[in-house]
Amino acid sequence: MSEFALLTLLIGALGLVALGIGGLVLSRNLFRVVLALALAEAGANLLLVLVGFRQSAWGAIAPIIESGRDAASLTPSMVDPIPQALVLTAIVIGVGVQALALSLAIRAYGAYGTLDMNALRARMETDIDSAAGTQPARCQHAPAGGRPLPPISAGARRADTPGTPA
Amino acid sequence: MNALDILLALSALMPPAALLFGRWRGYAWLAGMVLTGQIILLAGCDLPLAAGMNLEIFGRSVGWRLDAFGRFFALITLGVALASTVYMGGEWGERHAAGGHSPRWLHGALAGNVLAMLLLLSSQDLIAFFIGWELTSWAGFLLMAQGGEKALRAALRYVPYAMSGAMAVLGGLALTLAWTGTLDLAALTGIMPTLDNTKLALLLALFGMGFSIKMGLLPFHLWQAPAYAEAAGAGTAFLGAISARMGLFALALLLVKLMTLTRVADLAFIEGLFTARDLLAWVAALTIVLPTFTALKQNDARYLLAWHGIGQGGYMLLGIVIGDATGSAGGLLHVFNYATYQAALVLAVFAVMHRTGTADLNSLGGLVTRMPLTFLVMLLGIIGLAGLPPMNGFVSKWLVYRSLMLDGRPLLFLMTVIGTLGTILSVYKLIHNTFLGQLRAEHEQIREAPWSMTLPMLALVILAFVTGAAPGLALSWVAEAQAALGLPVLAYTLGGIESPRGNLDMLWIVGVLFAGFGIGALLFYGAGGRSKRVHQLDNYAGGHFLSADVRYHYSDHFYAGLMHRIGPFYRSSFTRLESAVAAATDLAASLMQVWYRQTVPALTLLVAAVLGLSWMIWK
Amino acid sequence: MSHSLLALVVALPLLAAFLPPLLPGAIRRLLGPLALLLVAALGVYLWRITLIEPVSLALGDFRPPLGVVFYVDSVAALFVLAVALVTLLLWPWRGDTSENLDRKQSLTLVLAAACGGLAVSGDLFNVYVFYELAAVAGYGLAAGGGTAAARVATFRYLILGSLGSLLALLGITLIYFRAGTLNLAHLADLAPQTLHDPFGLAAFFLILLGLGVKAELFLVNTWAPEIYATAEARVSALLAGLVSKLALLVLARLLVLVFPLPEARGALLILGMLGMLTGEFAAFRARDIKRMLAWSSIGQLGAAFIAFSIPGSLGLAAGLAIALHHLLVKPALFLLAERWGGGLARLAGAARRSPFGAALFALFALSLIGVPPLPGFWAKYLLLSGLAAQPDNLYLLAGLVVLVTTVVEAVYLFRVIGMLHGRDAAHSEKPQNMALDMTLPASTLAGSGAFAALLLAVALAAPWLTAPLARMALQMNDSAAYVARVLPATATSEATK
Repeated sequence: MSEFALLTLLIGALGLVALGIGGLVLSRNLFRVVLALALAEAGANLLLVLVGFRQSAWGAIAPIIESGRDAASLTPSMVDPIPQALVLTAIVIGVGVQALALSLAIRAYGAYGTLDMNALRARMETDIDSAAGTQPARCQHAPAGGRPLPPISAGARRADTPGTPA
Repeated sequence: MNALDILLALSALMPPAALLFGRWRGYAWLAGMVLTGQIILLAGCDLPLAAGMNLEIFGRSVGWRLDAFGRFFALITLGVALASTVYMGGEWGERHAAGGHSPRWLHGALAGNVLAMLLLLSSQDLIAFFIGWELTSWAGFLLMAQGGEKALRAALRYVPYAMSGAMAVLGGLALTLAWTGTLDLAALTGIMPTLDNTKLALLLALFGMGFSIKMGLLPFHLWQAPAYAEAAGAGTAFLGAISARMGLFALALLLVKLMTLTRVADLAFIEGLFTARDLLAWVAALTIVLPTFTALKQNDARYLLAWHGIGQGGYMLLGIVIGDATGSAGGLLHVFNYATYQAALVLAVFAVMHRTGTADLNSLGGLVTRMPLTFLVMLLGIIGLAGLPPMNGFVSKWLVYRSLMLDGRPLLFLMTVIGTLGTILSVYKLIHNTFLGQLRAEHEQIREAPWSMTLPMLALVILAFVTGAAPGLALSWVAEAQAALGLPVLAYTLGGIESPRGNLDMLWIVGVLFAGFGIGALLFYGAGGRSKRVHQLDNYAGGHFLSADVRYHYSDHFYAGLMHRIGPFYRSSFTRLESAVAAATDLAASLMQVWYRQTVPALTLLVAAVLGLSWMIWK
Repeated sequence: MSHSLLALVVALPLLAAFLPPLLPGAIRRLLGPLALLLVAALGVYLWRITLIEPVSLALGDFRPPLGVVFYVDSVAALFVLAVALVTLLLWPWRGDTSENLDRKQSLTLVLAAACGGLAVSGDLFNVYVFYELAAVAGYGLAAGGGTAAARVATFRYLILGSLGSLLALLGITLIYFRAGTLNLAHLADLAPQTLHDPFGLAAFFLILLGLGVKAELFLVNTWAPEIYATAEARVSALLAGLVSKLALLVLARLLVLVFPLPEARGALLILGMLGMLTGEFAAFRARDIKRMLAWSSIGQLGAAFIAFSIPGSLGLAAGLAIALHHLLVKPALFLLAERWGGGLARLAGAARRSPFGAALFALFALSLIGVPPLPGFWAKYLLLSGLAAQPDNLYLLAGLVVLVTTVVEAVYLFRVIGMLHGRDAAHSEKPQNMALDMTLPASTLAGSGAFAALLLAVALAAPWLTAPLARMALQMNDSAAYVARVLPATATSEATK
């Protein structure tokens, strides 16, 4: 029974990680990306906590020494305290990073008016290129190295430029 | 402090001195005196000499030690640098500076080249060698880039070549260290021939490629002509005369001293069809022929000479690869001889450019009466370049021909003769289009070049003539170099060589030649010696006076018939090879950029993580 | 313990980062540089004593493997020194507003503290914490460029970085699951029984990918060109120069202490080769200096990964040499790119405006290519001689990759040098070029001039620096000494669960 519960939790944790990473890869909306990140981090943290149960029987308790209980009696049924401490740290860090990510997403939305990752990336590339005063990367008019390439037709070039978002 | 220390210390002081005082007029004379002192010091000292500075880096000692082989090249380097420095110090340098170029950087680059080459020539181990090699490359780059926009572009074209060469050498160095456990040249002499054939062939390929690039051997020669031709005048002379020879120095060191020629001849490819030595000999022969005929096509005097420089390197390598006493002596002597007349020729071309403002062979002509000294220099220079008596070029080429025939390689001999034929044709084009034919109206007021320019040129051709009439003077250095390198030593006399299979005595040949001239003069003056001098522009045709703006004797598209015949062989296949490599690099670069422009980096990360994990787990 | 000074490496910058709001203005601006100077002095002191013998400190006297351990050998000490010095040289003296400046300075100090922590940490979870601290400070600094593009780039960087941290955390979890400890010394002791199997390797691979994000490891380095193109040059310099090296150091330590296995080395070697190839070739087609430098630093770090994959202290010496050389050169180049950061075509004739800057660029480029006698050559020499000495043909292939990419690197760097010395922009037919001032400000020249002076000093002192370098590599390679120093014999048996 206890083994079964542990297994369920393990599978759940790994599932959370997988879901989260899947979401990271598949979603284009910045907000969803942050959510997916939170999901994956939750899974990883759960996994880390579960590791603490490694050698104890299911039903082990937290290693808090109360009155009337001496440390020696705790030992066999105590969960490993280190992962719990680690998870606390990881959660704090994770929350901070997610807040930072959300604030960045808000600022990006404010500037470009979209939360779509692809559109934002295209806008960013355009901004970088125009700040540097260079042609967009796909333009073949002036390849690096000074070796001129045959010019491409205007129609082909238009189709080649990354689509600008609304 | 021994002589080598003083020599290197002086050379090390000169680049900073040039950067500080290069703008001062007297600097060139100061530098000239230092160089003269260095030449005297070097010529007079006993060899071999080890420098006092000896570093210990990563458990390997890095040191410098000059032997007679290095001294031979070092003397030529210093001599050419002396001529170039004096040339730069006069009117030419002022004009150069007035054109917005920095005399300090030009002097500095030249001094840097001298230092780098001395370090290279006196290296005792492969690390010191590589340091010298790289410094030579980059100092050369600095000198090449001094001549304005075109020169900069040519120098930038040199970068990938130089770097590929340097990296090939560095790779060879690392493998040598791994396979032999030492980098000391003296120790390697005994160990390297004992490596097995595969390793030796790989080392030969790596080092050989690196050194051939510097030397401009086929197919790595494309960079050289524009880079040398476009450099600033005196720089062109220095680069053309000696810079590329550092590759020859290194190749000779590798083939003769480290690997030994017999061992190189053991390396057979394709079931013994040919050996590495045959391959090198044929590369050298093709290097003689193809660039020489490319030179024939050039219409810029500087390019014409620069392309010849590539071709002449072939003779030197061919002589050394044959490896007998006469052949190797011919190859080494050719380094010296070539340096004398090539430097003189380049300086003469720049003297013409100084006065006329152009080196375009189609817009010059008839300057012989305007610049007689420069004409004399060029005449003697091209006789040397073509390898005709009485100049020294004849001696070294004769030695190479002779050893080819004695060695039983008639085909290679044929190639060298074809090469010489091409040389004669193209140098005739050079002197004809510059000095003979009709004087152009715009050149009527041209004066002879100033003494600061004619003096070094004349000194160089006189040297070329003297060592042509008495080759024994130069052959003493060559014989010492041969001994230091471990080659059979040539038995020489003052006038040439003496051997059971035929002698060469240039004193006699020159004597007979001048006796012939003397007889001719006697006949002429004996018959009254009547001659009448007319002004160069005082010309008539069909009773009509020809004014100076009428073009009646000029050349354009020289050798059109010959070019028509051999043109199909010159469909610039090497240029295409070069652009194919450049295009492939560009394509690879575009593909690599695709990776960095992906939209969802997490996806590739995920895929890679899964693949990597499965590799780790199931391996 | 006399070595409790060690804690100051982390504590001082953190203190200086968070104290300023409580202080009056004059002192406030000096606190950061002062703290960094102190850390630098500490680094020098530590380096001198650790060259003889490494030191370790158990914080709060909790004996290892339970407590938090700092371990300083000469490598760590040198990196502490480098962190302080480089941060000092890249110190943000000016900001748009006072508040903005406060923020920048605080974040820079947090970054310095985290980097120092990474150098001295003796257990894996502390590494994770400091790594995250550095990451967050890095995100903050990168977004501080203020443009919208910088924010988008930072967001993308953050996502990749967080994913990396997640993978690293999973790897750490795996290690803890197998070995029951995160103390590096203890792990080194237990690894042969518990971690030298596919699970252990999987854990290593996860951590490699995770920490590799900061070290610009191939696969997880796509952020670099975007960030370096949008962030301020000083921030790029910090990230490319400093943070990447510390992540690299941690990975190298992990490799030496816990996973000295051929498979782990193989992963490093292959990823390093791919990083070098993609980075240098991508830089070949870069059109602006900032991204060119970004790709070039990816390539250089690939070389460092290749070097660390060579077994034995020779590989470590090569890796350290490459990392330290890059630490000196890349920040200086990014400083120069502060004003010259635009497209290559804009640079035409900039050498006339700033000849000293152009000379500095040439110096750094030559050293990066590895032209003797500059330090870059010795690093490359060590790398190549190490690679050639390996029997495995994959190492020879790596040597070939290093040689080929160096040629590519020379071509694109010299293209820039050619541009700088080319025709003056004023004579160019494009009039818009005249609007841009390509003259470098004095502060930039002073900053990168200081790096150049350091570089030249190293070049001149090279013969005398080889012995310390070899000693450092030996110390780093000596995992038995690490274990013995952190875990004296009594602790080892008791700590085993």
